[in-house]
Amino acid sequence: MATINATVTISSDISSYPTSINKTMTMTKSANPSVGLDETTGLRTKKFTTTTAAVIVEEDELTDAMAHKIYIRNTSTNRANFFYVAYNGSAAAAATAETIGKLYGGDWMLFPFDGAVGITVASSTATETQYLEYMVFADGIVAAKG
Amino acid sequence: MATTTATVSISSSDLMPGSPLSITANTVLTKAGVTAGLTQMETGVRSIVAGTEYRLGPLATEMAGDIHDVASYLYLCNTTTEDATYYIDWGIHETMIGKLYAGDWMFIPWNASDDAAEIEIEPQGGTNTIEYAFFNSDFILTTAA
Repeated sequence: MATINATVTISSDISSYPTSINKTMTMTKSANPSVGLDETTGLRTKKFTTTTAAVIVEEDELTDAMAHKIYIRNTSTNRANFFYVAYNGSAAAAATAETIGKLYGGDWMLFPFDGAVGITVASSTATETQYLEYMVFADGIVAAKG
Repeated sequence: MATTTATVSISSSDLMPGSPLSITANTVLTKAGVTAGLTQMETGVRSIVAGTEYRLGPLATEMAGDIHDVASYLYLCNTTTEDATYYIDWGIHETMIGKLYAGDWMFIPWNASDDAAEIEIEPQGGTNTIEYAFFNSDFILTTAA
């Protein structure tokens, strides 16, 4: 059993009283919240030079209906560019029904994932190279078949 | 101009023995494509009973302007302290994407491109309590009846 901690800190002065959110979670298995996640597909970095949609998390790599967590970050710095991120096996765009959101340069996201459908991304630009960093903290990885 | 900053730190000393994990990412949330900060936020705490799908946040047509798939962010935490039978299914429209267990949090950009892109949550196991915060620049008040 491993111990994986994730802390989010959000601060804002949008309102006249400062907003300060600070929350830590320990990533645990779905069947037993006292047992930590102990598998990962590893930290990956991928370069995108086209707007062609690409699957970054394959649904057949993970056990379905479990407590996986996905971390994704657009490591580019240009706020004019972004990635569509979709819970979809092949597409990611504004009109794709399961597009979660746009990840602008520097933005990150962390969310629970059931592993039933792949995660697909698409860069907004083919003229500027963008990089995506991502990692799956898995509650069950399906061994590759020979 | 307001400044909203979101930072995540992920660490583990034993997930990959011999290679301790330490990720830290920081972003300043801005309006789409520019460096101007977001100007609106909405926060809340709700206790929600199991067995019903709820919409969290507005529909696209309930916000100002025509384009909403830009620079909206959601923080959502299940502050329930019950066992593993308590969790919240979350998703976009009718498609559930994951389970937010007791004590778990999530942070995502939100693609509110149309009214079929709303955020849905469905508590399981019993009454779950959530806290949430939307960061955006398009919220409007509902016209009085």
